[in-house]
Amino acid sequence: MFNSLKDIVRKSSIHVCLVNCGGCNGCDIEVVALLSPKYDLEQYGIYFHNNPREADVILVTGPVTDQWVDNLRRIYAKAPEPKIVVTLGACPQTGGVFGQEGGRVNAPVSDFIPVDAAVPGCPPRPDEILAAVLAVVPGAIAAKGRAQDKGED
Amino acid sequence: MILPIGPIHPYLKEPLRLKLQTEGEKVVKAEIDYGYVHRGIEKIMEGKNWQKGIYLSERICGICSYEHTQTFAEVIELISGVTAPMRAQYLRVITNELDRIQSHLLANSTFFKSMDHETLFMNTLALREYAMEALELLTGNRVNLGWNVVGGVRMDAEKKHFDAILRKLDKIEEGFYRHKALFEEAPVVGLRCKGVGIMTHEEAVKGHAVGPIGRASGIKHDCRQDHPTYRDEFEFKPIWRKEGDNYARTMNRLNEVPQSIYLIRQAIANIPDGPVRVPVEVGSGFGEWRNEAPRGEVTYMMETNGNLIKHISIRTPSIMNIDTCARYMLNGVATVSDALTTYASCDPCIACTERVSITDAATGRREIKDFYEVI
Ligand code: SF4
Repeated sequence: MFNSLKDIVRKSSIHVCLVNCGGCNGCDIEVVALLSPKYDLEQYGIYFHNNPREADVILVTGPVTDQWVDNLRRIYAKAPEPKIVVTLGACPQTGGVFGQEGGRVNAPVSDFIPVDAAVPGCPPRPDEILAAVLAVVPGAIAAKGRAQDKGED
Repeated sequence: MILPIGPIHPYLKEPLRLKLQTEGEKVVKAEIDYGYVHRGIEKIMEGKNWQKGIYLSERICGICSYEHTQTFAEVIELISGVTAPMRAQYLRVITNELDRIQSHLLANSTFFKSMDHETLFMNTLALREYAMEALELLTGNRVNLGWNVVGGVRMDAEKKHFDAILRKLDKIEEGFYRHKALFEEAPVVGLRCKGVGIMTHEEAVKGHAVGPIGRASGIKHDCRQDHPTYRDEFEFKPIWRKEGDNYARTMNRLNEVPQSIYLIRQAIANIPDGPVRVPVEVGSGFGEWRNEAPRGEVTYMMETNGNLIKHISIRTPSIMNIDTCARYMLNGVATVSDALTTYASCDPCIACTERVSITDAATGRREIKDFYEVI
């Protein structure tokens, strides 16, 4: 009973934390554009508050620069279970344009933390980001939450 | 007490760490930790041809991505001794000013958010979407436009595109004056930002402040005055103010939006016919070019060897602006929350600042314990 209630609630209150680990911030401003009345993230039950300690979803952008190698793991550890990681853009998947000789980047992000979904694009359009988060996150959080509850029983 | 803020913080879109030394609530000294976004772009560009370089230059910074490609193209055109056709130059002006509108509106909305004025924040973001739609209409992309090539622009636009852009501009203008009045005349808003974070003219000169930040402190300089297209074809005068506080910086950016709209209208009214791109044989040599990005002067210095980039050095405006912010504006700010609005008012763009790493990794490590303590 309690768990099914939790599933319903989790679906409609998704807390998001955006971590820019070194991209060109093109992806980040597309996330900011999602806050605008045209897309209005909050209508979909997504709250953007950038605090890893309260986040259900960590959105990662950027190709993991040297400074972020440790910090990314640390942020991931700070988020409470169950947590979902969604990467935005080409950078966290392959390093994007920076993943060439001479670039000081450590992509992919999945080397450091487990990634649940990836949205490709450079940058992905705001509606694509929104669609991806809505398609993946509620189900994944519910599934992870249930698995976790079972483990604790 | 030393109060660290960032690198992940609700008001900071990009990672950067502010260290505020405080006495009670008063900020007595501010320090900034860079280095979270260092990717080594200039190093990657070396030994590549311009077709590969221009993509990278675009991705130095996502907010003012357009101006970087224009400067990159123009410096190579200078080295090779060609000029882009007139129609392409006009198209560049249109795109440049649209990009400036969206960047200024985004910067101001961040500032409004940092002082918790949700209405203005939402409304400016809504207006910005019109500029984004116009950019998408013209170039096909929203953020990284991929619009400039050496010798011109990638494709032509027709009358129907221009008409649609003009309609979007009308919409921006319609909402703009109402929201500007909301900011200008509200007494509570004035209390939060008038006289906060003052930088005098001498300090701005000493710290090399550029762009709207410098102009708000009385530096009457705008690189568009010296740009051949703007100088010869357009009616243009820089906008500046004297006060040098948060209010002046925000108003200066707000006032530059109608100016950009006026420039676009001029361009669309007078655009000449002709080709939009000429073939270029890239020469060898050294060139330097400055342009006015939304945040100030961006300089490209490049040495080419035939088709290949031998050496490139890029200076972006934010490095000076963030530095002056830490050194002059944040000193003596009365409360910590005012420190955040002051920081937001200097329109920091970290991604473009950090191609050159000025990091002190040792101090970064030492303080890591309390990294997210103040979120
Ligand atoms: S994926 Fe593209 S737009 Fe996104 S941060 Fe990387 S370079 Fe910038």
